[in-house]
Amino acid sequence: MGSVKIGVVSCSGEDCLGGTISRLATRKMMEQIRPDDAVTLCLPLFIAGGEEERGFAAAHPTITVDGCGKWCAKRATERLSGKVSDVVQVADLIGTETAEGPILSTRNITPEHLEMVDKVAEEIRLKFDRIAESYKGKALPIKGF
Amino acid sequence: MSKSYAILPCNGLDKLAGSLSREIALRIAEQTGSEIICPTFYRVSDVLYNKVAAEKPLLVIDGCGTRCAGKLATEKALKVAAKINVAEESKKYNIKLGSSLRLGENELRLCDLLVNNILKDELEDKAGQEVKDTVLMPAEIDYEIYQKDKFVFRLPKEGFYFNENDCWAYVVGNKARIGVTDYVQKSLSDIMFFTPPEIGSEIEQFGEAGAIESGKAVFEIICPVSGVVTAINDELLDYPEYINDNPYEKGWIAELELTDFESDKELLLQFEEYVKIMKRKVDEFHV
Repeated sequence: MGSVKIGVVSCSGEDCLGGTISRLATRKMMEQIRPDDAVTLCLPLFIAGGEEERGFAAAHPTITVDGCGKWCAKRATERLSGKVSDVVQVADLIGTETAEGPILSTRNITPEHLEMVDKVAEEIRLKFDRIAESYKGKALPIKGF
Repeated sequence: MSKSYAILPCNGLDKLAGSLSREIALRIAEQTGSEIICPTFYRVSDVLYNKVAAEKPLLVIDGCGTRCAGKLATEKALKVAAKINVAEESKKYNIKLGSSLRLGENELRLCDLLVNNILKDELEDKAGQEVKDTVLMPAEIDYEIYQKDKFVFRLPKEGFYFNENDCWAYVVGNKARIGVTDYVQKSLSDIMFFTPPEIGSEIEQFGEAGAIESGKAVFEIICPVSGVVTAINDELLDYPEYINDNPYEKGWIAELELTDFESDKELLLQFEEYVKIMKRKVDEFHV
């Protein structure tokens, strides 16, 4: 991939299963799918951090990943950091009813949940690669982060 | 105080300790019926969580030194009942956290430790409470009823001692539960505040054992017995109106370990004597 680091920001995912899937899919992007090109920031750090953290979306083209229709990740990123380049809505991929189910401890993850994680991670990857392609040969909006 | 928490974890995703904060929150919630506050949604829209944060003791779980959850609690002016910092705890227990965001053996071990610590504290609280609340009250109390116009005054017929200051004591062994009589709560009308005596303090007979207050007046509770305060009815801190509902049962005030009940008894009244005093006071009380 190119030199542009692309941000993937997950919702905090404390209200429903969609949030858990969102977090796990984001982690999969960070650790397995695009470990050298993806960066993330936890949402509360937009609030508690300083200028550097709040400049995240300006420094990186950013995809937000939301677990449900509250759109916490998109809303918090745009309110506190900057406009996002694309969004992934977990409920659109696994169904609203499933996404709004109860939250999940890592102990209780089943193969079905992991399939959902893969599906969401693939959607993130598609959008991630599209953004990366559009930045090929271009400089970062702001150097470094 | 409720034994379940409002839990505010940082829910960090860019550091392992943040992910661990979420796992700890989930496990405590599963075992205690606590409610988890999503830090991001709380920031974006606080209506959902304001009630939870106000009604339950707040447990703040931060992953690292940035203390995102703690800062959010400060920003929202929340009172923190307990807090955990995962990074600090990992140093304390000498458990090294990995670099992957995936929770491994070490991380899960630390998670178990911290969850157990919180649950253990609760169990100790419960045990302490059981030791403190040792006065076994009768399952049913037989009341004398005295009515004046629309006002009904109850008075327990058996087992209670009273003083002329309209407070009662129910004695079992060397312990006593104390409270005020119906005459007090009816005179005060809607009780809005309860100031408890301090647990561990020694009170002389006829000394002050806290106070209750309504829109009409403040009533100093005159202790019928001498002793050391071992428990208070802390439900009255949130629901002082329990005294209006029934001052002999759920509206009790405190419990004491008695220091000289044999002497105290000489200055106390039993039902037959106090009921006359109460009736006279009611008749003279122009409500």
